[in-house]
Amino acid sequence: MNPPPKRISMEGLDLLCARRSAGAPMPAYVGPLRRHVAEGDRRLLRLEYDASPAALRLWSFLLTEEERLHAAHAAGAKIVGAMKDLGTVPVMAYALPNVVAFYPDGAWWTPCVMELSDGLFCIAQSLGFGESFCPVRAMLGAFVNRAHFPIPDILICSAGAVCDDFSAIAQRVESLGHPILWWEMPHRRRPEPDEPAVELPGGFSAPASQAAFVRSELERVRAALEGLAGAPLGDAELAAGIAEANRVRRLLADLRRLAYTAEACPMPALEMLIAEMLAIHFCSDRAESIRVLADLLEEVRRRVKEKVGIVAKDAARVFWVNPVADLRVMNLLEDSGGRLAGTEFLFSHALDPIPEDLPPMEALARMALADPMAGPSADRAARIVRDARAFGAEAVLVSRIPGASHCALEGAVIARVVREELAIPVVEIEVPPVADPMMPTLRSQLEALVETVQERRKR
Amino acid sequence: MICAGVDAGSRTLKIALWDRASGRTIAAGVRDQGTDHDGLARELFEELLRAEGLPRERVARIVATGYGRGAVSFADSTVTEITCHAVGVRHHVPDAATIVEIGGQDSKLLRLNRDGTVRDFAMNDRCAAGTGRFLEVVASRLGAGLGSLGALARLADAPAPISSMCVVFAETEIIGLLASGSRREDIVAGVQAAIASRVAAMLGREAAPPVIFTGGVALVPGMAEALASALATPVRVCPNPQMTGAVGAALIACRQASGGAAGLGRSPAVGGPRP
Repeated sequence: MNPPPKRISMEGLDLLCARRSAGAPMPAYVGPLRRHVAEGDRRLLRLEYDASPAALRLWSFLLTEEERLHAAHAAGAKIVGAMKDLGTVPVMAYALPNVVAFYPDGAWWTPCVMELSDGLFCIAQSLGFGESFCPVRAMLGAFVNRAHFPIPDILICSAGAVCDDFSAIAQRVESLGHPILWWEMPHRRRPEPDEPAVELPGGFSAPASQAAFVRSELERVRAALEGLAGAPLGDAELAAGIAEANRVRRLLADLRRLAYTAEACPMPALEMLIAEMLAIHFCSDRAESIRVLADLLEEVRRRVKEKVGIVAKDAARVFWVNPVADLRVMNLLEDSGGRLAGTEFLFSHALDPIPEDLPPMEALARMALADPMAGPSADRAARIVRDARAFGAEAVLVSRIPGASHCALEGAVIARVVREELAIPVVEIEVPPVADPMMPTLRSQLEALVETVQERRKR
Repeated sequence: MICAGVDAGSRTLKIALWDRASGRTIAAGVRDQGTDHDGLARELFEELLRAEGLPRERVARIVATGYGRGAVSFADSTVTEITCHAVGVRHHVPDAATIVEIGGQDSKLLRLNRDGTVRDFAMNDRCAAGTGRFLEVVASRLGAGLGSLGALARLADAPAPISSMCVVFAETEIIGLLASGSRREDIVAGVQAAIASRVAAMLGREAAPPVIFTGGVALVPGMAEALASALATPVRVCPNPQMTGAVGAALIACRQASGGAAGLGRSPAVGGPRP
C-alpha cells in the first residue's frame, strides 16, 4: 500500500531521501535539499514539496544543474549558453558530441531561491538595470560574479520578436566582454490569403518566407555550433537530436494530460512547473531529464490509477499563465483550494512535438516560429483558450512578472479572449521575486478566485 | 436566526449582526484596527451582544472576512472580502453590475453576473496610490481631517495635476505644489482625481452600469464624483458603504447556517493567522 500523496516540508523530503538511501540505489546527484540551503538557497526551507522519490529526484536534478555544468566544463565539454531562445538551440547543441547547452536566463529564479541574498539584483542595478526591468536581469549579476554557471564557450541569443527588456539586458552582457551570436526571430504574422504558408506546431500557420528566413538564421547557428564542437552537425545528427527532444516532449505531454485532467490532482503545481521547465534545455542533461520525467510520470500514473490526489477532488481547476518569480506562490494555489488544470508558461512551442517528417532545419525553424512570444498576443490567447477548454479549466490566472515587457499588456488581451470564448473568470496577479509582503493579498486573490469558481458551480 | 459578519480590515474593524427573521442588521460597530485583531474583534463583538441583550448562543454562525480574517479565532469560517462585498452590495442594490471598493489598503473592482455572483475581479495589489491610505497621507500633509477633504475639493478652481504613481513621491509632489503656491483645495481635488483615475485604469472599458461605490473611502465626500468622472459613467454610493463587507459576511454566515452556501468558506484554523 502506497502512502497517500501529500505535500511535505524540506525536512520531510530529506527524511524521505535518507530512507531511500538505505534502500534502492539512486543517481549520485540525488541528496538532501538541506545541502543547497547551506549554499544559500534559503527559499527551499519555505516551500512544500511532493512527498515522493520522483519529486526528490526532480528537485535534486534541478538544484545540481550548476554543479553539472561546472563538471562538464572541467571535463572539456563545450558549454553553449542559449539565451532567450526557449527550446530551439539546445535541441541543436545536444545533437553534437561533448556539447552541453544551458539557459543563462534561468538565473532569474536565483533571487527567489536565495531570497535576494546573493546580490545579483544589486549588481544588475549597478549596471543600469533596476527593478523596472524583468527579473531576468539577475543573469547580468551571474555573468559578473561568476558564482553560478560557468562562462559559456559560446553565447547564442535570439533577437527581434523577443522581449524588449531582455534584449537590452543581453546587449549589456555582450558589452561586458561576452560576445554573442545573434540570430533574428521575426514577428510571426498570419499569411495573406494568396501567400504561400506553412503549418506550425501548435496549430498556427506562418508565411513560408518567414519559415525560410528563420531556417537561414538557424543555419548560421548550425555553422557556429559545428565550429565550436569541431564536428559536423548533419541532418542525420539533427534528426536524432530532434527524436530525443521529442521523447522529452512526449513525456511532458503525457504528464500534463494526466495531471491536468485527472479528477484527483495527482501532482502539486510547484513540481509541474519545474517539470515543464525541463523542456527548454533539459536542465543540462538530456538523457537524465528523460529518466527524471519518466519517474515522475510513473508516479502520476500510479496516483491516477489509485484515484488519489494532493488536494480535495472539488478543488477549483485553474489554468495558469506565465511562470512565477516566487515559487511559493505555486504552493499557495493549493493552500487556497485550487489546483492546476493547464499551464502556458511562455514556452508552449517547446512542449509540442517537433515535426519529424520534415527536413530537420525546416522542422526546427517552424517550431521556433511557433514561440508564443514571437507572435501576436491574440494567438497566444487562442492557444490558452484551446488548452483551457481541453483541460476543463474553470478559471484562468494570469501571473504578471514585474518588469517583463511581454507581460505589460498581454494580460488584458488574454482576459478579453478567454471571457469571450469560455466565459470563465480571469484574474491577474503580479508576483515579484520575493513576494512575502504581498502574500496576504495574493492569498486573498487566489481564495476569491476559488470562491468565484465554487459559486459558479451552483449556478 | 442571528448571524455575525466580522470584517477585519487593514484600517478598521467592522462587525454586523444580521437577523434573518426580520431581514435587517440589528447591530453594527466600527473600531480602528490595532495590532491585536482577534482581541479587538472579540471585544467589539461582545460589546454589540451586550448592547442588544443577546447571549452568545443566539448567534448561529460567524464569518470573518477582510485582511485580518484568519486572525479572528472565534469565527466559524472565513470568506474573502471580494465575495463578501459582492453579497453585501447586492443586498442593498440588487441590480449592481460593477462594484468599486476602495479601502484603507487596497482597491478592488468586481464584475457581477446577473444573479449577483462574482464574474471576476481585479485588485490593486501593488501600491497605496489607489487607496484610502493616499487620502490619509494627503490629509495629514495638508493639516486637514479626512472628513473635510470633500468640502475642500468642492472649493477647487482647477484640480492640481498629481503625476506620481507612488504615494511617497506624490507626497513630495504635494509639498512642491504647496511651496509653489497651489491652493489646498486644488491639491485635494487633484488627489481625488488621481485615485479615481488609478482605479478606473483597472476597470478598463468594462464598467457595466450600474456602478456601485463601496468601502470606507466611499464615505469621503467628492470621491464618488471623481470616480464618476474618471469612469465616464454615473456612480452610486452604496448605503452604509463601510459596512458592506461585514453585512455580506453575516449574510453568508446565515446561508452557511442554513446549508445554502456549501463549500464556500474556510476554517480560520486551516488558513492560519494572517499578518
